[in-house]
Amino acid sequence: MWGWWRFGKWTVLIMFLHIVAVLIFTKGFLLTRTELPHSSHCSDLSQSPCHSSSSSSSCWTKPAVDRLIIIVLDALRFDFVAPSSFFEQKQPWMDRLKVLQRMALENPSSAKIFKAIADPPTTSLQRLKGLTTGALPTFIDVGNSFGAPAIVEDNFIKQLIQNGKRVVMMGDDTWTQLFPDHFNKSYPYPSFNVKDLDTVDNGCIEHLLPSLHQQDWDVLIAHFLGVDHAGHIYGVDSIPMIEKLDQYNAVLEKVIEELQNQSGPGKLHENSLLLVMGDHGQTLNGDHGGGSPEEVETSIFAMSFKDLPYLPSEFVSSSCEPSKNMCISSIPQCHRSLVSPFHLEGAVIGRVNPELYALAVGTWNLDDNKTWNNQDETKLEEWLQNYVNVICTNSWQVKRYIDVYSASSVIGFSSEDLFHISDLYSEAEENRLNSTFYNNESSNTSLAILKRQIGAYFEFLSYVAELARSKWTEFNLKMMGTGIGIMLLSLYCHILAIRKLNKSYGVSLLLSRDSGISFGLLLASFTVLMRASSLLSNSYILKEGKVANFLLATTSIATLRFSFMKNKMLLEAATFLLLTFIFRIAIEVGLYKQASTSQFMSASSSWVLGISISESLWTFMAEIVPILALIILGCFLYKAISSYCWGIAKCVIMGTILSYLLIALHWISESNILDLAHFLKGFGKNYIPRTIYSIGLGQLSLLAFVPLFSKEETSNYKGSLFVKTISILSACSSTVIILQGKQGALVALGSLLAGYCMMRLQGIEQHTVRGAAEISILDPLPILQWSLLAVCLFFATGHWCTFDGLRYGAAFIGFDEFVLIPQAILLTIDTFGFSHILSVFGLPLFVAFSSMFNQTEHRSLFSIKLFWIFLVYGLITAITVTVTIVCVAIQRRHLMVWGLFAPKFVFDVVGLILTDVLIFMASIYYF
Amino acid sequence: MKEDLEKSTPSKISSFQVFLIHVCCGLALAVGFWVAHNVYSINLISHPTSTLRLIWAIEFPVVILLFSCFRQKPEKCSYLKAIARGLLGLPVGALLNALGALALGAPAGLQYFERTVSWSLLMSSLTFVPTACVYGSCWTDWHRIFACTKPKGSLDFMLCLPAHGAVIGAWFGAWPMPLDWERPWQDWPICVSYGAMAGYVAGMVGSLGLALMHTGGGKQLKAE
Repeated sequence: MWGWWRFGKWTVLIMFLHIVAVLIFTKGFLLTRTELPHSSHCSDLSQSPCHSSSSSSSCWTKPAVDRLIIIVLDALRFDFVAPSSFFEQKQPWMDRLKVLQRMALENPSSAKIFKAIADPPTTSLQRLKGLTTGALPTFIDVGNSFGAPAIVEDNFIKQLIQNGKRVVMMGDDTWTQLFPDHFNKSYPYPSFNVKDLDTVDNGCIEHLLPSLHQQDWDVLIAHFLGVDHAGHIYGVDSIPMIEKLDQYNAVLEKVIEELQNQSGPGKLHENSLLLVMGDHGQTLNGDHGGGSPEEVETSIFAMSFKDLPYLPSEFVSSSCEPSKNMCISSIPQCHRSLVSPFHLEGAVIGRVNPELYALAVGTWNLDDNKTWNNQDETKLEEWLQNYVNVICTNSWQVKRYIDVYSASSVIGFSSEDLFHISDLYSEAEENRLNSTFYNNESSNTSLAILKRQIGAYFEFLSYVAELARSKWTEFNLKMMGTGIGIMLLSLYCHILAIRKLNKSYGVSLLLSRDSGISFGLLLASFTVLMRASSLLSNSYILKEGKVANFLLATTSIATLRFSFMKNKMLLEAATFLLLTFIFRIAIEVGLYKQASTSQFMSASSSWVLGISISESLWTFMAEIVPILALIILGCFLYKAISSYCWGIAKCVIMGTILSYLLIALHWISESNILDLAHFLKGFGKNYIPRTIYSIGLGQLSLLAFVPLFSKEETSNYKGSLFVKTISILSACSSTVIILQGKQGALVALGSLLAGYCMMRLQGIEQHTVRGAAEISILDPLPILQWSLLAVCLFFATGHWCTFDGLRYGAAFIGFDEFVLIPQAILLTIDTFGFSHILSVFGLPLFVAFSSMFNQTEHRSLFSIKLFWIFLVYGLITAITVTVTIVCVAIQRRHLMVWGLFAPKFVFDVVGLILTDVLIFMASIYYF
Repeated sequence: MKEDLEKSTPSKISSFQVFLIHVCCGLALAVGFWVAHNVYSINLISHPTSTLRLIWAIEFPVVILLFSCFRQKPEKCSYLKAIARGLLGLPVGALLNALGALALGAPAGLQYFERTVSWSLLMSSLTFVPTACVYGSCWTDWHRIFACTKPKGSLDFMLCLPAHGAVIGAWFGAWPMPLDWERPWQDWPICVSYGAMAGYVAGMVGSLGLALMHTGGGKQLKAE
């Protein structure tokens, strides 16, 4: 054991550093929030302290409006809506939505323009989520079902449905992804084609105006995308953008005219509220996603179709322009105002905005025939009382949410913050309770009291919102920096360890490593650098598989050149190059699959070779070839035992061959080449995979525990290393292959062949440089190739670094229902099987192979080489992951940070830690 | 005197000849671009296939005619035979270049077939044809120049450096291709061709410099 510790301590140290670095960085970077499954009901109201007199029969509060029209204009900049006099300079894109400005100017009490501040990340999906749930969207909403974006939290739409409201949606199909079966009627249009400016908008316009006449809805949502797309393609200052804005102006004009026509007493839109809002802004280049002012500042225009009273000026928290007679106030966009009829349990952090609330007709108990008299203090007081009740309920709910959240979430709020929250809340409550005694005072003082109450509630709510924002949407740069620092430290340790190993290797070989820099080392470092720097750009991350393959092909061309130079092993080098070509085709097939699901990639079909083979032959081939590949693999193994193996290894390999037979049987039963399906039906299709898993588990435990009991010291160390490697690889392979499906067998065969070529080719450069005597000088090039091959295998088996790239089907091979732990294990094995598990356990083959022909080596040299190989492999992985982490930190405000960089980060980090753990286990196993 | 020189050191050529050849090859490339741009008013971005073919059609004759003058063992191998070797070397080199590009990830679809062919013909005349003209099928010379990269003398440098430059330039030229800038020149094989030609020119400059140093050093040695 001490012998292991001599070098093994390095693997432990590096693993420890990696884990610490990743944990610290993740805590600063990955914002998480736990979704709560609760949703609110009308009956909850009785627990609230606010409605002592249960006067109204309605749920929560009386519905403020009867019908609601929400028009969402994607990427609506604030300066599209606000008059150009608000800005220093008039730009061509300003003052285009003239109708909104005119309305706000003509009826300042019933129509208002608000400046709304959206919370980053300002991407449409996250914003819609934020708007409907009232929460702050984060990267990982724990509890979210994998992949599918559908909202399970309590939300506005769900509450509408529960309360019997009918919702109509038209436009962007993101809504139907979020709410798959909530809408009464929906007219979704595809949103992924950024170059298409008109399809969604025309669809909206086509359905919007006719819908206004219909009676079968209560809430209408129309989502226009043209401005967003025009911004992405042409930028803000462009003709298409201005055309789009003019088009919207015309549409809005028609809508408002239509609504005004029908707003008379008894008509359809007597008590309607029109909201025109942006979900986020955009920069002048049309980008959004980050947190710059241009991106978060958007606008809400609210209008009701009656003359309404003015609010007392204390509540108009705005920057008024006296000359223009128009007020623009800022409201945080996770507003509650929309929600005023219904209150959510889910995750609402926000407050009912007084101005917006005032715009809703129903909040004023107006008599139909009486026009509003501005001096009527009692009316105002009544309204304020209503408002206090609403905001009281609002605060009570927020308090309840915070309590439930901190009780159930893993990463909650700190106790200090919680204490402060409850302090503020109880203060506001007391304020309210006290004031109820003075109900009969003169109206002036009671107004003042009401205002004070509202102030106390505002303080509470804004404190909570601030706290939640800092918790859920702000990166902790210090922690991220510390994480990166520790990561760099671990790289330094890695290099130190490798140098130490090199030194002791040189000492035991009794040669001084004079220059130490060979062409192979240079090429390897250059390739690693190229790969690492490629990760800094989103395009290369999207095509990572191709980049890895490009580099692999480059190194294999270099190897081919070496073998030309040396005039030997040409066949192996050529085969290896051919294999990289085959992997490249497989990677492109994988990319094609990815492109069809990804929002960032356009599907290119350059790999399609125009296959014109008849259909049936093709399917027959597709079914028979993997089985043939399995049989070939089995033959290899059989040959291996007949020549090398003994004892336990023989058992293990026999078990694997049995597993292969079972896999072949499983595939045959799935396909319909032979009519075995009904024959196996009684057996149940789940038994074969389960048998294979248990055989694999048995083999692994046999390999792990038997050496502990029988300490047989074999003299032939190399032979035993080879046997050990083969047996553990075979033990793992059967499970991996069945999870990967039919491609698994082919890929296994291909990587076996590629591995064999690499083993043969390793050190080919040194032969010429140093002569045959120093055959075993360490060369990082083959290890680099091995690591690149592992990356290629990851992509070639149809994986990619996003969560929808996980192959969920693999988790259900052998199981019918979802149980978290076994399914998660299967999914991990499927995802990292070839690229991490098999490649780490296969590494010792380099040592075993190179010394097959060299009988004079000592055992200590052997273990040095083993550790050296593991450390170099780990270093290559660690360098790329470090660069990924740095890149994620740099690009944290990038448009694609949640769509692309963060998933890549998660995959890489999981892969790194898995690699470390596997290296640790493998070094113990092989030592 | 002249015969004497050729017999004793067959691979020696003067730095002025190197200069002349490189200038001619470089000019041929430039003329190719000029003709494409001004006569046919096409360029690499709008019509990659025809432009590449045009450049090749101008470059290839120049290369084959010039390099055949410096064939090894001129007493055994006539000028015409050297040209024939170059012609034979063209498809072989094109095939090797195309295979290399495919292995590195060039699009394999049928719609790119023509582009790949014209690109690999151009690459072949930049890399493969000169050596084929000069050395024919002599394996040891090929091995020395391309596998071991141990050129001897100005002639070897003249063959080796531009060829390696073209390949390495093409390799670097492939890097912008996956970027999402959506520029037309990111398409296969436009930026790769630009890279290859830039590398080729750089290689020619390098070889010229080496040739000048070589002859300069030689003169000094003689003087001593």
